[in-house]
Amino acid sequence: MIQPSRSTPPFSPILLAGMLARPLPPALLQPALGIALAAIRRNHPEVFERLSGLGSPVFLIDPVDLPFVFVLKTDVQAPELRCRTSGDGMATTATIRGPLLTLIDLLEGRLDGDALFFSRELTIEGDTEAVVALSNAVDGAEIEIGAALASLLGPLAGPARFLAGAAGTVFSRLSKDLETLRGAAIGPVLRHAAAQTARLDGLDEAVGELKRTTAKSRARKR
Amino acid sequence: MTKRLELVCPAGTPAALRAAIDAGADAVYLGFRDETNARNFPGLNFNRNELAQGVAYAHENGAKVLVAVNTYPEAGNPGPWHSAVDDAAMLGADAVILADIGLADYAQRTHPDLRRHLSVQASASNAEAIRFYHRAFGVKRVVLPRVLTVAEIARLNTEIPVETEVFVFGGLCVMAEGRCSLSSYVTGQSPNMNGVCSPASHVRYVDQGSRLVSKLGDFTVNVFADGEQAGYPTLCKGRFVAEGKASYLFEEPTSLNAIDILPELMAAGVTALKIEGRQRSRAYVTKVVTAFRRAVDAAARGEPVPTGGLETVTEGQRETTGAYSKSWQ
Repeated sequence: MIQPSRSTPPFSPILLAGMLARPLPPALLQPALGIALAAIRRNHPEVFERLSGLGSPVFLIDPVDLPFVFVLKTDVQAPELRCRTSGDGMATTATIRGPLLTLIDLLEGRLDGDALFFSRELTIEGDTEAVVALSNAVDGAEIEIGAALASLLGPLAGPARFLAGAAGTVFSRLSKDLETLRGAAIGPVLRHAAAQTARLDGLDEAVGELKRTTAKSRARKR
Repeated sequence: MTKRLELVCPAGTPAALRAAIDAGADAVYLGFRDETNARNFPGLNFNRNELAQGVAYAHENGAKVLVAVNTYPEAGNPGPWHSAVDDAAMLGADAVILADIGLADYAQRTHPDLRRHLSVQASASNAEAIRFYHRAFGVKRVVLPRVLTVAEIARLNTEIPVETEVFVFGGLCVMAEGRCSLSSYVTGQSPNMNGVCSPASHVRYVDQGSRLVSKLGDFTVNVFADGEQAGYPTLCKGRFVAEGKASYLFEEPTSLNAIDILPELMAAGVTALKIEGRQRSRAYVTKVVTAFRRAVDAAARGEPVPTGGLETVTEGQRETTGAYSKSWQ
């Protein structure tokens, strides 16, 4: 079975949306990020407090299916969340990389970070201690991004929730359609690769057997 | 035979505590944010206020809170360990889990009404040792090291006057709990004294394109091919090259899962089952506790135990019943 490369984004609506959003300046996202961070800071101050012993680490969070990265400064007094087109040249403590929906599920505590990392769906670079601390702090906070944003919309929260629900249904359908499309497009390649893998396994076995026979033969000669 | 096994579940944070209790934990175990417990990880654990709130939540829901103070006090500096025991008692914890005999003595003298459990870190695996802890320090329960078969546990339970608690799920180690110095050798920090095995501050993952290298200090502990399951670089689970062949010399990265043998553990007279993983997420806690709640209840009713579904949260995505059904000496 061929595993996707660690930096390969999943073929999903997020990837397509990211491509469409590529011409947009990251600054457009900044107000929403500011609101989300303010809500998290107000409702979950313990997140930053739990990180306070590490000297304000800076995280580069890279959703691999979007043309943006996020830079999170975890200063307990003045945390910041900024959007950039890339993290090149930035001095960061650690990088966390994965598909956007996986990162959101992780943030909201629906997925286990260790399992994601061990299965290679998530990659980390840099200071492991800082990543472990962030993971523990966030997991302990019971953050709900949707609820936090909706609470800031006041009387518009109800219609916003309705729209979010409808968008979720469309997203789910679109995801299934894209999966079908992906299967149709690369199915023959996957079958070919599986056949090649089986052939290589057979060759490996044959080489191993040959090595064992040769070793025995040498031993007898000695 | 016990009537129903008590399910003791990990709580690394207040959110994990609530998740465990909501999923059916009979008890949660946790530690303070310092070196007094064996999961002294960054961003993890409870401050005093969080413990008070956690105890209130647990007691409202009929669950107990066990506070692990299970590292060995630093020579000449018993203060943090004594404070941990004092505060656990003051804040209403149902028991403390101890390893050090000096601390067990302190707890008994200072808080005689506070229940004392013996941590797995004490590595008490025979009747004489356990009887000593009971006689000298009034220990009511012992968490057994993961070296005994079910038959050995059954025999032990007939020879000791205390309850036994056994691990049923989670990470394994090389079975020298409280005595292992591998982590200390490389990093200067150990689970025994500092509460951390292979601390994250010494861990590095290096992405080399087609492979991922995990390092502890200056040592390469494993190299994972693209697409291969990765793991945390604890030395005992390293893949090392010997005689030209890379292999897991000490132990493979595999998780304990004893859900299949719960009826046997009940029949062996075990009182409580422990789920490992205070360092894991609340998603892990919810998933594992939910599965074991169903299994324990089914076993108590004498019904077949529902199994499966926990592979995704196991280390290496592989499971073992470990020493419980060991065939080696």
